[in-house]
Amino acid sequence: MSTRPRMPSAIPGQPPDFGSVMAHVPKLAGLFFDLYGEFWRNGVADPAIKEMTRIRNARITDCGY
Amino acid sequence: MSWIASAGDSPPLEGLFAHRPELLTRYKAFYSALWDGDLVPRRVLELCRLRVAVIHDCAAEWAVRDAGVALDSPEAAALKRGDFAAFAASEQAALAIAERFPFQHHGVSDADVAAAAEAFGDAGAVALMVALAFFDATCRWKLAFDLEERLADLDSPPLHQGALV
Repeated sequence: MSTRPRMPSAIPGQPPDFGSVMAHVPKLAGLFFDLYGEFWRNGVADPAIKEMTRIRNARITDCGY
Repeated sequence: MSWIASAGDSPPLEGLFAHRPELLTRYKAFYSALWDGDLVPRRVLELCRLRVAVIHDCAAEWAVRDAGVALDSPEAAALKRGDFAAFAASEQAALAIAERFPFQHHGVSDADVAAAAEAFGDAGAVALMVALAFFDATCRWKLAFDLEERLADLDSPPLHQGALV
């Protein structure tokens, strides 16, 4: 486990979190959020099923974030 | 034979994603940028992709190669054994994280990440981590859907000339 933030924020004044760390690679981040947003906004799977599996995946991988 | 029918006459991963064309288009745009960027050398990405395939025992992903990197047989054999001694220091730094990413992600240490940032810069280290996550996911998709193995030299594995293989 990390004992400190491993990667600095790429956005001045913001703490390191998923968005501000991804901002180190803005082109990649933009395309990723476009993909991820499409996944959550649309599709045939019930949003409740997606959320349930997301939370279960976080539990299995022991991801407190 | 896969657990899911391919949508159309497409390569295995393309046929899987083609069931959701909106995701397919966006996924390919994202994945292309991962390989086309100059943050992490293609050879490093290829080494990591193949090592993650070995860890997952994913024959379908191991079978494809980046034609632009063209690893030789001794290098591929070393990757399969998990013997990284002959690789460059920056490659070893990336492989140290790749080794733990699929099943020992909590074992990735501060020192591992610092070594990657030293080798590739902060932006390169972030790009490497994103790449590892998707190499891991690709193996999981191929294994979970039991996609067929196709031997191939590709442009940006598993993406090739606009199609996911």
